[in-house]
Amino acid sequence: MEKLIVIVLSVVLVNNFILVRFLGLCPFLGVSREIKSSLSMGVAVIFVMTLASLCTWLIQYYLLVPYKVEFLQTIVFILVIAALVQFVEMVIQKVSPVLQKALGIYLPLITTNCAVLGVCILNIREDYNLLETIIHGAGAGLGFTLAILLMAGIRERMSLGKVPQSMQGFPLSFIIACLMALSFFGFQGFFSH
Amino acid sequence: MGFYNELIKGVWRENPVFRIVLGICPTLAVSTQVSNGVGMGLAATFVLLGSNVIISLIRKGIPDKIRIPAFIVVISTFVTIVDLFMAAYTPALHERLGIFIPLIVVNCIILGRAEAFASKSTVWMSIADALGMGAGFTVALTIISSIREVLGNGTFFGIQVMPEAFSPAVIMILPPGAFLTIGALLGFFNYLSKRRST
Amino acid sequence: MRELFNLTVVLTIICSLAATALALVYNITKDPIAYQQRLKKLKAIKAVQPNYDNEPDQDFVDISLEKNAEGDAVLTRFYLTKKGTDPTGVVFVVTAIGYGGPIDLMLGLTPDGTITGIQILKHTETPGLGAKITEKKFLQQFTAKNAQNTTWTLKKDGGDIDQISGATISPQGVVKAISEGLILFSDHHDEILTAG
Repeated sequence: MEKLIVIVLSVVLVNNFILVRFLGLCPFLGVSREIKSSLSMGVAVIFVMTLASLCTWLIQYYLLVPYKVEFLQTIVFILVIAALVQFVEMVIQKVSPVLQKALGIYLPLITTNCAVLGVCILNIREDYNLLETIIHGAGAGLGFTLAILLMAGIRERMSLGKVPQSMQGFPLSFIIACLMALSFFGFQGFFSH
Repeated sequence: MGFYNELIKGVWRENPVFRIVLGICPTLAVSTQVSNGVGMGLAATFVLLGSNVIISLIRKGIPDKIRIPAFIVVISTFVTIVDLFMAAYTPALHERLGIFIPLIVVNCIILGRAEAFASKSTVWMSIADALGMGAGFTVALTIISSIREVLGNGTFFGIQVMPEAFSPAVIMILPPGAFLTIGALLGFFNYLSKRRST
Repeated sequence: MRELFNLTVVLTIICSLAATALALVYNITKDPIAYQQRLKKLKAIKAVQPNYDNEPDQDFVDISLEKNAEGDAVLTRFYLTKKGTDPTGVVFVVTAIGYGGPIDLMLGLTPDGTITGIQILKHTETPGLGAKITEKKFLQQFTAKNAQNTTWTLKKDGGDIDQISGATISPQGVVKAISEGLILFSDHHDEILTAG
């Protein structure tokens, strides 16, 4: 139990996927203009990450390892993620038009979100068991959501401020990310006491 | 014109990192030392070259509907090849780049070039495009990692370049320093290109 | 229907070509990768205990020292270094609790429990601060120390170990892990050395 809590806190705060590990920066910069769309993106990412962690873990240990083809990991994982995203999209379309409207345009973007493939590979490299994998996947998504929501909150306010022309857009976003990373840095050493 | 033009556009005019802002994740993550940056740039260039050539060769045989999955299979094949060869012949670099080698698969630059260029162009032009974009990516990584390594560690390619009295700004090789460096560089390049156009 | 068939065929062909190419590359690189991994292990052993002519990565004892949460035994592997048939030392890995997470370090000892060398194998300490534990300046001081001739805390805590400016927790963790490793070895001294 203790290990699970450590995994969640570590992946949300100490090793935040965006601000410390640099995974998933494209959506972080691209979809963080408003809080509302950021939240939708975050929810979609949590959902896909958890599901992808589960599927890839099962495939790794029941398919790749028994048949000694671990070297196919990258190719198999990315295809699984792509198929999974398609599948989720179809299910959502059938089941809930409301959800489809909210998440629809974000789902395809997730296939090439390196955070999703990243979390799947990390699960294997860290030797997590199935439960830890699911928790780690969900936690990583949660950390992503936290960072993108904070970013969107700041950017919504910044849009009213005066910014030198050359710094508008991406440059300013990176500077904000720098300050956020600096403050998240305070969580380092969380577990050493 | 033609080949040469495609070759050089990636370095500056359409530089994937500085102008189009793609492939940011590996750029920031591995740029703590120049050797990592160059290694990552070369690995990505190889994948880009391989996937561009193959995709350009088979572009007529691939139905439009399964275009993207087919591209992903080609790209991840080359990524795995790079991964295995690096593990076998440059183990130290392989270990330092870690998870970011398999993640070349989802580097938007590579799928982006496959979709936007190689799937519509001849093999010859695709080679030029891949080399140009790869060079642009490598140059960008080299610039960023040089700044970070020199300021954050006082070294360049592991060799001490700053005087003894210089106390390294450790923050530059930490995550916040990565964001700061690229933010400042992008702002600077925006400024340059604005001045040029007026 | 016919279109679906076509799509499936094309995608299957691409995938099987990709898999064939990868299997080929895998077979070429398999041995070099295994060799590099072995080399890495031997290099680490050599760095902490250079005095041997056997093959310590083939010559080891696994001893179960503790049980994990599920009650399974956790094995610690002790590599034995020998000259001819005389044991010259023992090399094993201990884990320290650092600032950013666990630190794996390799400890080389003589048969009487004096340190011949320390190497940091894996760590996630802050670059430029805690990560200075990997520097020679810090690691060299441990050579020739043992459980008896040294007080195993940092100088600022009243001990004998030089600290690192700007970092406290990482070197403290390393020192604690080393001293625990020394005790571990002396507790199982005979078991380890006679097993080889």
